[in-house]
Amino acid sequence: MPGKHLARWTLSWFASALSFLLAALALAVPFAPAPGAWLEGRGLALVHLLALGWLSQMMIGASLQFLPVLLARPLPWPWLSPLSLALTGVGTILLALGFIGLEGGGTGLLALAPLPLGAGLGLFLLMAGGTLLPAGGWRDDAGRPVLLALAALILTFASGGGMALAGTGGPVAISPEALPFHVGLGVAGWLGLATAGVSYRLFAMFLIAPDGGGRLRRITAGAALCLTGLLTLGLGLAGHWPAPGWLLPAAMICASVTAGLYIADIAQVWRSRRRARPEVNMRMTRPALAFLALAALLAPVAAIDGRFAEAAVFAALVGWLSGLTLAQMVKITSFLTWIQVFSPRIGKQKLPQVHELVDDAACRRWLGLWFAGAALGTAALLAEHAQGLRLAFAVLLVAALGIAREVRAIRRLAHLSFAARPPVLPPLFLPQLRMDPT
Amino acid sequence: MTGDPLRQPVIDALSGIIDPETGHDLVAMGLIRSVEIEGARARVTMTTTIRGCPMAEMLRLGAEAAVASVPGITDAEVTLEWEPPWTPDRIGGGVWA
Repeated sequence: MPGKHLARWTLSWFASALSFLLAALALAVPFAPAPGAWLEGRGLALVHLLALGWLSQMMIGASLQFLPVLLARPLPWPWLSPLSLALTGVGTILLALGFIGLEGGGTGLLALAPLPLGAGLGLFLLMAGGTLLPAGGWRDDAGRPVLLALAALILTFASGGGMALAGTGGPVAISPEALPFHVGLGVAGWLGLATAGVSYRLFAMFLIAPDGGGRLRRITAGAALCLTGLLTLGLGLAGHWPAPGWLLPAAMICASVTAGLYIADIAQVWRSRRRARPEVNMRMTRPALAFLALAALLAPVAAIDGRFAEAAVFAALVGWLSGLTLAQMVKITSFLTWIQVFSPRIGKQKLPQVHELVDDAACRRWLGLWFAGAALGTAALLAEHAQGLRLAFAVLLVAALGIAREVRAIRRLAHLSFAARPPVLPPLFLPQLRMDPT
Repeated sequence: MTGDPLRQPVIDALSGIIDPETGHDLVAMGLIRSVEIEGARARVTMTTTIRGCPMAEMLRLGAEAAVASVPGITDAEVTLEWEPPWTPDRIGGGVWA
């Protein structure tokens, strides 16, 4: 049946995530804490708007679309997707408001936030696990890191929920000593490994390259397992027994090794590509990977110096993960739009190609500005320069607005000639009612 | 039959379908596994670059419509197969068999 592996709610996830990104950046320009003060309420609110609202919602939306495609297995219970979207959205807003309440105004929302958030993430885990486990995902080179990422998501949520309850005097509390391990599991474990797993096969598709795999990918999975294990051990020890001093530096070295192996693997995929001129999403993947390399270089020092820790997390969240996500969002949106609009006419008339829906130069310009903002922000954190950091957020906001405008233009087929556009366009970000529900 | 006079027109019709991702046509991409002609009946087996390709069914339907439009063909059937899987080495190799 047409589009049987298409998830209906992907663009709704993207729209929600993009709204969180724009809101976080708009708030960061006037309210971002100075370097070294990111554990204050405002800082925690901004970080979670970015990590949960923006990056996690994008990752969930993309995973629900591409896990069934990559594993050739339909998503179980796809009707849970909008419920999960609403619950994670509400949970993120409550969490951000709860963190702001730490600076005065009460912590009630902080205690409430884990409920919708946990329910929303739980529904996602049901759908993703229900696709990965029956497909034997642990035997698959791309499936292994995604399964590890799902385990890291559970631990990140459990530790974050515990710390939120600790802040409100709740019955289940996790010591703030767990914080570096919570951050490591969230950024490197959940977001990092999920990105790596999905990108292995997606990049091979976009570049028309052999689906690599093999020894290097198995070694990378081993390093990722080691990283997740060390971070989990640190989380388990925090607040109960003194964590050995070597634990966090060892985990950070493990993160750097995993990142290095992953970059080497993607470089191999890039070299073996059959697409002579990669599209803008893949060309702009290179600066994103440069930020991953930078974060990997900073990570071992981050274990002993908070300034480097903030810079490493910023380089990873903003430079690598957000840069990569924005670049791929352009591609995925154009691909899904093409399928929605033009696929029923295949074989019946001449059709535009997917890349014709995208203004390559405009996307390159906005993404370039994004990476410039990410570089400025990383440098400002390293130099402990508060004004520089706010300027970086302003640059990032302008770039994000530019990319959001391009995504809207793709959905409206604005870069095609009037004659090539159908009279009726699909909804901007809501599912099409006529589409098959699977 | 590989020597059937309708075989080449059918392949030409399949060459008219462009993969919107790569810009190559189905034959040039190496996505057509076999073309069999029996009188006015055409049976085509094709594949996609990955098994879970979200466009698989739309490409199959498009290929079927294109083959059915060939003069002399009254019955067109296009089926999907994924074993052995497609690899980029198939690009430029034409119909598999």
